Amino acid sequence: MNKLLTFIFSLFIATQVFAAIDTIAVDVGISVFKTMPIGVVPFSESSGEAFDWPDEKAHEVIERDLNLSGRFDVISSEKFDLVKFSRARAKFYITGRVEKALNNKIKISFYLYATQSKNLVLGETFTVSLIDSRQAAHEFVDKVIFQLWGVHGVASTKLVWVSKIDGVKQVVVADYDGFHRRQLTFDSTISMMPVWSQNNERVIFVSFRNNKPQLYIKDIATGTQKRLFKNLEQSFSPAVNPNTGEVVFSAIIDGRTDLYVGDYETQKVRRLSFLKSSQTSPSWSPNSAEILFTSDRGGTPQIYVMNSDGTDMRRMTFMGRYNERASWAPTGDRIVYTSMDEGKMNIYTCAIDGSDIVQLTSSAGNNERPSWSPDGMLITFSSDRTGTHQIYIMRRDGSNVTRITKGGENTAPTWSWYPVHKQTKNKEGRE
Amino acid sequence: MKSIYGILIAGCVVIGLTACAKKQEPVVEPVVQETPVEEVAQVNTVNEDSLAALERDRLEAERLEAARRRLQEMMDRLMSEDVYFDFDRSELTAEAKELLGQVGAILNQEPRFTITVEGHTDARGTEDYNMTLGGLRSTKVKDFLSAYGIASERMETISYGKEKPKVDGNSESAYAQNRRANFRVNVK
Repeated sequence: MNKLLTFIFSLFIATQVFAAIDTIAVDVGISVFKTMPIGVVPFSESSGEAFDWPDEKAHEVIERDLNLSGRFDVISSEKFDLVKFSRARAKFYITGRVEKALNNKIKISFYLYATQSKNLVLGETFTVSLIDSRQAAHEFVDKVIFQLWGVHGVASTKLVWVSKIDGVKQVVVADYDGFHRRQLTFDSTISMMPVWSQNNERVIFVSFRNNKPQLYIKDIATGTQKRLFKNLEQSFSPAVNPNTGEVVFSAIIDGRTDLYVGDYETQKVRRLSFLKSSQTSPSWSPNSAEILFTSDRGGTPQIYVMNSDGTDMRRMTFMGRYNERASWAPTGDRIVYTSMDEGKMNIYTCAIDGSDIVQLTSSAGNNERPSWSPDGMLITFSSDRTGTHQIYIMRRDGSNVTRITKGGENTAPTWSWYPVHKQTKNKEGRE
Repeated sequence: MKSIYGILIAGCVVIGLTACAKKQEPVVEPVVQETPVEEVAQVNTVNEDSLAALERDRLEAERLEAARRRLQEMMDRLMSEDVYFDFDRSELTAEAKELLGQVGAILNQEPRFTITVEGHTDARGTEDYNMTLGGLRSTKVKDFLSAYGIASERMETISYGKEKPKVDGNSESAYAQNRRANFRVNVK
């Protein structure tokens, strides 16, 4: 009897909670972030020389980076224009200079100036081949962001995703802006769910080459690959621990999907959850203390969180009947996930206690598989809003949605970590 | 008995209709080739009389051909039968159970068959959750056949999640046809 009363009481509480959540206003795509206006002027090129830019000119790469970063408002100008920059409150502007160098290379200099004083704030010169000038521009933009924002930007980071090539899903890697795409797998069977190893040197993914979903790891530079955790016949949904490199993943045994943690060097595996329901889509908190995952123990897929040793499990999402693929922001403060409503997938974020739900995408096809940029400012995801699945980047508040792929079918993007040297710097900064 | 013939005929029609959609051809040839060679050798040593021997060979070949055809039909039938599920469910419907009863009967009749049960979902939802659903569906089918009396060593399960739809498109009818478990047959 007591139990029944408690049950009825808890139902009452639950209804109250639902009612409270239902009244939360859902914002769509309105930016709450302040952007910094910044001027960009085309680079001067040494006279009488023709430069055969591969994709975009240096200042175009920089404009794209600044726009994608979610931190800036680009004020383009053909030449330095004090009035225009001042009116737009652009306190700084970027320009540069290109000249030919030996061995088919170019000498490219990047400058960040203060608009009013025309003082040089930051300058750097690279001697590179034309094709690598893009990388140089990315590096300079990240230095500008560090100079003006005090945090590392993501212009030098990469994405891995799945692209249908000749009808087969293959893993591809590319710069975060979609350029310099490279095919990583060349199998006749499906490859899917790629994620980065801790040092960005390898990709862990699911392959059906044995006619079963199994985890593989492949070195990007050498192409060397091996199967992981061979005693598990069917495994998928890998996620890498940002601090130890361990892999948490799902495996099916006797029809049940549960969570496991494995070390890809030693191949040792331990089981993490022991439930009768299905558990999938795990994701580590930035400090690795907790793991987000999806469970259908309540009848529908919902997001739960537990300690990384499998204890203290609690439910996080209560609104909607299908909440999946949660991922913890590297900044630690929010969670992004996919929710299905009336058959359409959309991306939401919420606070780490499940409150303060914000819908980031709406009325534009299916939007799914969100992945955070390492600075926590941006989210990459795939959407079929144009009729085919393509990769997009948006700000963490859903604004500034930019498509970075066109043509074919592109899905399941995962953002790389910071380059290793910046990982350590950022940790020092945090502590 | 009549109803079984009816089902067999219906099965043949389905085979005819789906023949072009099939990708994995069963590995049946080796089995058939091995047996006649043995038989022929035996006949030759026992009976040297050519005419009678030839006649016996012909009859034997016909018998084997008929057996092969029957085996092929059973395999085709197994591979053309899909078990369908409701949205986000892995429970077997009454229809599915009836069909699995027939599948069990074929497996009992032909102990050389081993099967792989492949679980699939429709295109809605995430890749990850659909993998779990495909795992549940394929296992529900295996469990049913196990209860029917088929040794579990003869059955393997695989989840394909939403990766291998039978029908493309985003209509309710496409979804319904993709929420399925299907069989791949191997002959020992």
